[in-house]
Amino acid sequence: MIQPNDTTKHTSTSLDRTLQPEINQIGKIDFIKPRVFDISGQTKLYFTPDVPNETARIDLYFHAGSIHGNVGVASFVNGLILSGTATKSSTEINTAINDLGGYYESGLSNENAVITIHALRENLVAILEILSDALTHVAFHEKEVTELLADRKQKFKVNLEKVSFLAQRSFQQHLFNDQLYGRVVQESDFDAIDISMLKKFHQAHYLKGLQKVVVIGNLPQQEIDQILDITGKWTGDLNPVFAKDLSNLKGVNHQVKAGALQSAIRVGRILFNKTHADYADFLVLNTILGDYFGSRLMSNIREDKGYTYGIGSMVAELHETGYFVIGTEVGTDVRENTLKEIQFELKNLQNTLVDREELELVKNYMLGQLLKSADGPYNMTDLYMGLEPYGLSMDFYNRCIESIQQISPERIQALAQKYLNWEDMTVVSAG
Amino acid sequence: MIKFDRFKLANGLTVIFHKDQTTPLAVVNTLYDVGARDEKEDKTGFAHLFEHLMFGGSIHIPDFDAPLQHAGGESNAFTSNDITNYYDVLPASNIETALWLESDRMLSLAFTPKSLEVQRNVVIEEFKQRYLNQPYGDVWLELRPLAYKTHPYKWATIGKEVEHIEQATMEDVKSFFRTHYNPSNAILCIAGNFELEEVKSLVEKWFGDIPAGKKPVRMLPAEPSQEEYRQKTIERQVPADAFYYAFKMPERKDPGYYVADLISDALGRDKSSRLYVTLKKEKQLVSEIGAYITGSLDHGLLIISGKLNDGVTFEELDSALWEELNAFKANTLEESEIARLLTKIRTAKAFQDQGLLNRAMNLCIFELLGDAEGVNEEDLIYEAIKPEHMQHLAQSILNQTNCSVLNVKAIQS
Repeated sequence: MIQPNDTTKHTSTSLDRTLQPEINQIGKIDFIKPRVFDISGQTKLYFTPDVPNETARIDLYFHAGSIHGNVGVASFVNGLILSGTATKSSTEINTAINDLGGYYESGLSNENAVITIHALRENLVAILEILSDALTHVAFHEKEVTELLADRKQKFKVNLEKVSFLAQRSFQQHLFNDQLYGRVVQESDFDAIDISMLKKFHQAHYLKGLQKVVVIGNLPQQEIDQILDITGKWTGDLNPVFAKDLSNLKGVNHQVKAGALQSAIRVGRILFNKTHADYADFLVLNTILGDYFGSRLMSNIREDKGYTYGIGSMVAELHETGYFVIGTEVGTDVRENTLKEIQFELKNLQNTLVDREELELVKNYMLGQLLKSADGPYNMTDLYMGLEPYGLSMDFYNRCIESIQQISPERIQALAQKYLNWEDMTVVSAG
Repeated sequence: MIKFDRFKLANGLTVIFHKDQTTPLAVVNTLYDVGARDEKEDKTGFAHLFEHLMFGGSIHIPDFDAPLQHAGGESNAFTSNDITNYYDVLPASNIETALWLESDRMLSLAFTPKSLEVQRNVVIEEFKQRYLNQPYGDVWLELRPLAYKTHPYKWATIGKEVEHIEQATMEDVKSFFRTHYNPSNAILCIAGNFELEEVKSLVEKWFGDIPAGKKPVRMLPAEPSQEEYRQKTIERQVPADAFYYAFKMPERKDPGYYVADLISDALGRDKSSRLYVTLKKEKQLVSEIGAYITGSLDHGLLIISGKLNDGVTFEELDSALWEELNAFKANTLEESEIARLLTKIRTAKAFQDQGLLNRAMNLCIFELLGDAEGVNEEDLIYEAIKPEHMQHLAQSILNQTNCSVLNVKAIQS
């Protein structure tokens, strides 16, 4: 037990609790970029060695996103990477990885697939070797394929019971309005898959589809050389064309789900990515509207009306373009009112200047969040990887800090008038 | 190794300081020793509703979040059946704002009727979004009262029913605050690049004059030992049949807690685990299966859950599952199997310990259990587990008379 000394006691009796303690501005952040190695040609390995503990991570990116192949194929191949080779069963492969404490994850987006391993650094290369054998020699055994398709079909049916899934699916169709980006899996697609399609996809998009590799962890150079060797065999000359000029289907679309207690809502439009001159400033507008707990949408629709547990907006990026989306789940009886309130908040940003106090708060909040996004080797590397597709340097974030510090209420209003017109939005709901 | 200093204020507030020189951020984590288990049976969901109200302004500060955001930080909280935990993450240079906000809401809330009315609605929407409007979402609302007959673990954190939240009054709210929200019932952890003396003087400045209050004495009805097999089937409009087997297990402070955790890992942590390999890969009975523990402070549950493949019956699953559990009890595990489980635990812990917020929360939880130093002893406890410990505990808990089964039968709409 520590007895408080007299000085502090004296201070506490004269404490004015209504006044916020003085705030220090975030001045500068030191952004550190990873080391870059050539795997072959365009394919690079990004390496951050400055990790002060025993953890390590590797990400393998492949040109194996869902826009490639017949519908569903990318997802099924992604799920079958560890499903067994001619000589090893899926259980043997998983157990070999688990013996070394490895955590294997795989993920899929429109434009690429990523395989991630988390492990202690002493085990990372050994696990990668097991993965390498499994990935290179997947046999697509019929039993494994049948099992995965049945599991996925069951999951798909469960998802169809979720209003958030229905709305997201409909949003993807209406937003991208494109044969590849806007397509979604139907139940019948599970039955149309044959093993030769999977093999062909694997051959083209994994065995010759490596896009980039990220390694974080205090690994010796010799192990980085080993990783370069192992991953080098998956490179090829695949040069996918990513969509550039997408345009969303405007208007309102509601899908009825009988018995639902809530409706899921998505409102959004095709926008841009980091390469666009308005990107950094738009992030400020997006934060004010819906990207923090005190945002306009949260304050109005959750904290004033109590319509929802949460509502938010975000900017998502693709290789050559990007989009903006607002998402929420609300009581079915207040769906119409919620849409009206969202519309009101967009109009309000177009018609009325943001006041200085709110803008000041958002600026400070964003700088604090940027500091957080740059904290530690894992976050710092991810921050850099968010620039890599666009060929931007870490200086981009210093420019962001400047944009945030300098932006005016007039500029925010102008951006709202340009990009947040209700008439330009895809509006979908389910429930 | 997570290093820390600990001191206590005259009003009973326990403070832990964890220094980390590598980060420009600070964490202020406040754990209140109150959870859904402390609620009255006719006013459930209250600890959680109250957590929402803690963001509705305090006695001297009309809005909790805005000043914190203004300082570049953000905040959130969670409620479990055992505890309520609040955390602020912000640039270290602005830590005083977090201490100002946290101390003021420990002193007293604003208790505005508007905040109560809105948060009641928000929590009801949360109830719908997470429990009622999701396939299988109400499973815990059904399973808890099946497994527990007297202990307050028989209701979920969100509450037994929406009506309890609708009926919450301002008087309920105030009385809950007076009883549970005082310095002697809280543990504060400050993490970041500071000096101990600096932390002591800041904490004394902001928390020192909060009246001590009285630490409430917890007297929960003990759950009598289960002596019968319990089984319930509910019908829901879901696409697949699902099963949940719940076994009572040792409380958090019992060494057997860790043994039960390791048993759940052996049975169903990953794709090498016993149940995944036999029931899914070999016998093709299930589409998914896993095992885990609830992590409760009092006697918790070891859960085995999953979904059936089309055409498989609950009876087929049940007999295959017991066959596996009986085999598990009949034979000791190979050392290599335990070694694999321990390597995975060690790896997961190394990643968890990376995060400043995680370290701060864990220090508070271990302090609540008796000593924050416990955070550094977990690995050793796991390493000391021997095959016979696992077999012995498995024999005592993986039994029909210690088991509550909830089956969700899929029906067509």
